[in-house]
Amino acid sequence: MSDYDVIVIGAGCGGLSAGSQLARKGFKTLVIEQSDMVGGCCSTFEAQGYRFDLGASLIEDVEVINWCFERLGTTIYDEVELVECDPIYSVILKDGTRLTYPLSSEHTAREIGQIAPGDVMGWLKYGAYMQGFMDAALDGFFLAPGNTLVDMIKMFAKTPALLKYGPLFISSYQDIIEKYFKDPRIRESIGYQSFFGGLPPELCPGYIAMIPWSEHAGIYYSKGGMIGIPDALKRLGEKSGMQLKLNTEVKRLIVSNGRAAGVELQDGTEVTSDLVISDINAKTLYLDLIGEEHLPWLARIGIKSYEYSMATPMLYLGIDYEPPLAGHHTITTLPMDELNDFWWKDYKQGRFPVEQYSIISWSSGSSSGMAPDGHHVIVITLAPGAYRLEGKTWDQIKPELTQNIIDHLSKRCIPGLKDHVKYADFASPPDFEKRLKSPEGAIYALRQDLPSSLVFRPATRSKSIKKLYLVGASTHPGGGVPTTIASGMIAVDLIDKYE
Amino acid sequence: MRKILCLAGIITGVYFYTKLTKEKKRFIKEILRQVPYLIPRYFA
Ligand SMILES: Cc1cc2nc3c(=O)[nH]c(=O)nc-3n(C[C@H](O)[C@H](O)[C@H](O)COP(=O)(O)OP(=O)(O)OC[C@H]3O[C@@H](n4cnc5c(N)ncnc54)[C@H](O)[C@@H]3O)c2cc1C
Repeated sequence: MSDYDVIVIGAGCGGLSAGSQLARKGFKTLVIEQSDMVGGCCSTFEAQGYRFDLGASLIEDVEVINWCFERLGTTIYDEVELVECDPIYSVILKDGTRLTYPLSSEHTAREIGQIAPGDVMGWLKYGAYMQGFMDAALDGFFLAPGNTLVDMIKMFAKTPALLKYGPLFISSYQDIIEKYFKDPRIRESIGYQSFFGGLPPELCPGYIAMIPWSEHAGIYYSKGGMIGIPDALKRLGEKSGMQLKLNTEVKRLIVSNGRAAGVELQDGTEVTSDLVISDINAKTLYLDLIGEEHLPWLARIGIKSYEYSMATPMLYLGIDYEPPLAGHHTITTLPMDELNDFWWKDYKQGRFPVEQYSIISWSSGSSSGMAPDGHHVIVITLAPGAYRLEGKTWDQIKPELTQNIIDHLSKRCIPGLKDHVKYADFASPPDFEKRLKSPEGAIYALRQDLPSSLVFRPATRSKSIKKLYLVGASTHPGGGVPTTIASGMIAVDLIDKYE
Repeated sequence: MRKILCLAGIITGVYFYTKLTKEKKRFIKEILRQVPYLIPRYFA
């Protein structure tokens, strides 16, 4: 007799999605988390009276998240106070041109028309095409398992409309943007979202080019910090009896006769279970927690071949004035070709130039209670940063880099910033690795191009170890808050079917 | 005959490849680089 029906390793969005649903179904569920809070990449921490979002700063595709809440007998709107962000973002181009894209797609067309009248038609055509893709993806993609070729056939049989969007899977993000938009400034203003897929515009799969459109269906911030979403899943899970152990690291997955049978904790305690769900990086899971010796040779080659997704250094700032920003997100960006060049000439070479693309999230502008009275919080997601720098360590360059970035942003888009910083914390890729046990600080676990997606991503229902399921960014449908929550729903559906 | 067709196929492929932009070439190269791992990844 096992101690639990299910053990979930990691209380990220995927782990809590699966754990809370299984608890509601009556499974005796234990979620084990190594850090002192839930949410993983989608969490919020406090320092000197300021509240900072650790990673994720916004959600879209809120309907997908809501499906999980509906399974828990409620809705996200009842459980999390969501703040709709309008404008979606204000983007500052290399030449200083500023475009502010409002939530309304008609108003966005007007904004585009003021700079490039010729691209308004492109926006409308792009919007119509992407809306069709979004509808098909919501219907057939997010909750469909991507384990086997049969799953793929079923996915396309259930939603044949997806086939029409085949070109999005064999083109790059840049191809799609260049197809619909001719003006270099408009292209530049929507080129950077390829990094939401973890890759530069020329390498990112074309379907990610849905994002500049899908954002118009609504993007939201969780009042009080992004941790509001995983916290709600935790609360609902606990109501159904889910147990959660924080500050407890899983050292090893117990495998007996090719089956997952529980976990061994850092202090040597063994906890047994009938099923194990992993929300941690799949490479770490298979190579470190399980061990190669338990893997069939082909799976071993497959697991080792995955590349980690990019890491993004973050700068958390507490300031004592209201920053002159236009909305929740301000982006400083560069033309797509320069983003590509940055990828090869800087990121891949271990260099980190200051004047790069960045996402500035002004969370205290969207939500009260993030900073002491009269103070504000901004979190800057910087361009991808290599885990290993050329010739130096992150710790060596941090102080100077922090100052240079603050100076640069003061000049480029946040006048006065440098005179108002009261708290600054720079999180490098190695810091992320330390904090979340996310290897090399990878933000989406594994690279997310076609050869690492769908049936080529680690399977939700493990093909190597029986009774083991994967959720989170390492498995289909990949990184992002809605997608990882969807991965938990897929795992629960598979458990329903097979266990 | 089969050899000739094969050769013609390769020549056409190479011709079209050389006509692509450097961005498109890198996109294809990055996918081709990972092709040997597709079967192992399917079993992962
Ligand atoms: C900087 C950044 C910005 C992002 N921005 C956005 C955004 O704006 N919108 C969006 O939708 N998505 C965003 N994402 C992506 C999104 O946050 C993640 O894809 C998603 O939250 C990952 O969820 P997950 O289930 O994979 O688990 P993770 O968040 O990776 O959590 C895994 C958990 O497992 C724990 N763990 C690891 N090893 C062990 C162990 N051995 N034992 C016990 N516990 C362990 C970790 O501490 C962690 O809490 C961002 C991510 C980052 C990093």
